Amino acid sequence: MARRLPRTAWFGAAVVVAYAVLSVAAPWLAPHAPDEVFVGGTFEPPSAEFWLGTDNLGRDVLSRVLYGGRTVLLLAGSASAISVAVGGILGMFLGLRRGVVDQAVMRLLDVAMSVPPIIFALLLIGALGPSAPLIVLVVGLLFVPNVTRVIRAATLSVAGEDFILAARARGESRAAIVLRELLPNVAGALITEVSIRTGFAAIFISGLGFLGFGPPPPAPDWGIMINEGRSTIDASVWPVVAPAVCLALLVMSLNLFTDGVGRAIDRTAR
Amino acid sequence: MTRALLRLIGARLLLSGLSLLAVSAIVFAVMEALPGDTAQRLLGRDATVQALAVLRAQLHLEQPAWARYGDWLGGVLHGDFGTSLVARRPVLPYIAGHFGYSLLLGGLALALHIPLSVSLGLFGAATRRDGPIDAMISAVALLGMSAPEFVIGIFLVSILATTLGWFPPLALIDQAHGPLEVARTLLLPVLTLNFAMTAYVLRQTRNAMFDVLRSDYVRLAVLRGLPPRHVLLRHALPNALAPAINAIALNAGWLVGGIVVVEVVFNYPGLGRLLVESISFHDVPMVLGAALVLSATYIAINLAADVALMLLTPKLLVR
Repeated sequence: MARRLPRTAWFGAAVVVAYAVLSVAAPWLAPHAPDEVFVGGTFEPPSAEFWLGTDNLGRDVLSRVLYGGRTVLLLAGSASAISVAVGGILGMFLGLRRGVVDQAVMRLLDVAMSVPPIIFALLLIGALGPSAPLIVLVVGLLFVPNVTRVIRAATLSVAGEDFILAARARGESRAAIVLRELLPNVAGALITEVSIRTGFAAIFISGLGFLGFGPPPPAPDWGIMINEGRSTIDASVWPVVAPAVCLALLVMSLNLFTDGVGRAIDRTAR
Repeated sequence: MTRALLRLIGARLLLSGLSLLAVSAIVFAVMEALPGDTAQRLLGRDATVQALAVLRAQLHLEQPAWARYGDWLGGVLHGDFGTSLVARRPVLPYIAGHFGYSLLLGGLALALHIPLSVSLGLFGAATRRDGPIDAMISAVALLGMSAPEFVIGIFLVSILATTLGWFPPLALIDQAHGPLEVARTLLLPVLTLNFAMTAYVLRQTRNAMFDVLRSDYVRLAVLRGLPPRHVLLRHALPNALAPAINAIALNAGWLVGGIVVVEVVFNYPGLGRLLVESISFHDVPMVLGAALVLSATYIAINLAADVALMLLTPKLLVR
C-alpha cells in the first residue's frame, strides 16, 4: 500500500516527522530557555539573537515555539493514542460480537456524543483544574465514540467475508481471528484515525489553551502563546504568527497524510 | 413509508430527551467535583463557622447530591435556574439575553454558510478535475480545515479591523445602535465561522459531485445532448446533495462549540463567553444553566439535522 501513497501524503508524513525531531531536540536547538526573560527586550523584532523576536515579557519566541511543539505533540499524540486504543478495541469487539451488547453500547455512545465536546472539556478541566494528564485524558476519551463508530463499521464490512468465516470454521481462537484476519484489514482505518484524531486534538488542546484552560505554565503552549500575544498584536505580530503558523502547518500535514492514506485505501478496495 | 418515518422520528425524539436528561446529570456531577463547597467559596476563607452553617442551610448543602440535583432539575423545568453566585441575581435573564445573541450570530453564520459552501462545491465540480481552479479550491479548503477558528479570527481582526480599520475589532453588539452598526459588528465573527466551516462542506459536495458525474445516467444525459448546466443542476446535484446536507448538519453541531471560541475572540456577549467566564469564577448555577442550554441546542440541532436527512434522502430509510 505504501507505494501507492500520493506524494502529498509523503510530504505530510515528512513534515510531521520533522516536527517530532525538532520537538525532541528542542533543548539543544532552542537558543534560550523558553521562560527566560530579557529585561528591557520586549517586542523585539526578529534579529540574529532572537530569530522570531521576543514577546510581551521579553521571552524568545523561537525557543517558546520549539518547546510549545513538544507540548502540543506530546499532549495531542497521547490523546489520540488513548482514543484510538480504546475506540479501536471497542469497535472491533462490537463489530465481531454484534447483538444486544453492541446495540446497548452504541446507544450509550450516542448519548455520550450528545454533549458538545468543548463544553464537556471546559466543565471538567474548569472543575478539576488544568493539568496535562487531565487534558490528555479528557480529550482522548471525548474522541472515543467517533473512533469506535469508524472501526466498528470497518469491522462489520469485513466480518462477513469468506476468509473470516473460513477461519471460524477452522476453529481458530477469537484472538487469532482478530490478530491475523481482522487487524490487517482494519489497519488502514486505524492509521487514518490516529492521524485525524492527532490533528483534531492539536486544534482542540490549543483551543483550550487559548480559552485559558491549557496546560499550566511554565510549559509553553501554542494556544496560550496566541492568546497572550493577541492583545499586543499591534506591538509585534511575531508572538502570534509564529505559533499560529506552526499549528496550522502541523494540522495541514496531518490532513494531507490522512487524505492520502484514505485515497490509497479506496483505490485498493476498488 | 410515512409511518416508518414517523416511528423513526419518534424514536429519535425519545433518544434526544434521554440524552438531555443524561447531559443534565453529567453537568451537575462535574460541578459537584469542584473542590471546596459553595458556601466556603461564596464567603471566602475567613468566614465564621456560624455564617457558613447558615448559608449551607440556605443553599440546602446539607442534603445529599442527588436530592439537590432533583431540586435543581425541578427548578429548571419551572424556569428557575437558580441565583448567580457572582451577580447575586437570578440566572435565567442572563442566560436568555446571552443565548439570544448567540442564536443571532450562529443563525447568521449558518444562513450564509449553506448557500455559500454548496455553490462553491458546485462551482468546483463544474471545473475540470485536478485542473488549476480545482487545485486552488482544494488548497484553500485545506487551509480552512487546518487553521483553528481562533487563529482565523485573530488574523481577520488584525488585518481588517486593526490595520485597515474597516470593522470594529470587538463585536460589542450590546453597545451598537441601529441595524447598520449591528451588521458591522457581526460581520467579522460570521466570516470567521464560515471560513472554518466552508472547507468541509465544499470538499464533500465536490467529491460527491465528481462521483455522481462519473455515473452512467449522467453520461447518458450528456450523450443525449442536454446542456451541461441542466445536467449539473437537474441530474447530478439532487443525488450529490445527501453528503452535502450531512456535512452541513455536522457543521451546525460544530457551531455550538465553535461559537464559544469565536465569542471569546471578539468579546461577543454570547452564551459561550458567559460559560467560559462563569467557569473561571466558579459560578456554579450560571455554569449549569449555560451548559444545559448549549447542550440542549446541540441536541436539538442534531435532531433537526437527522430528520431533515431522513426526509430528503428516502434511500436511507429502506435499509
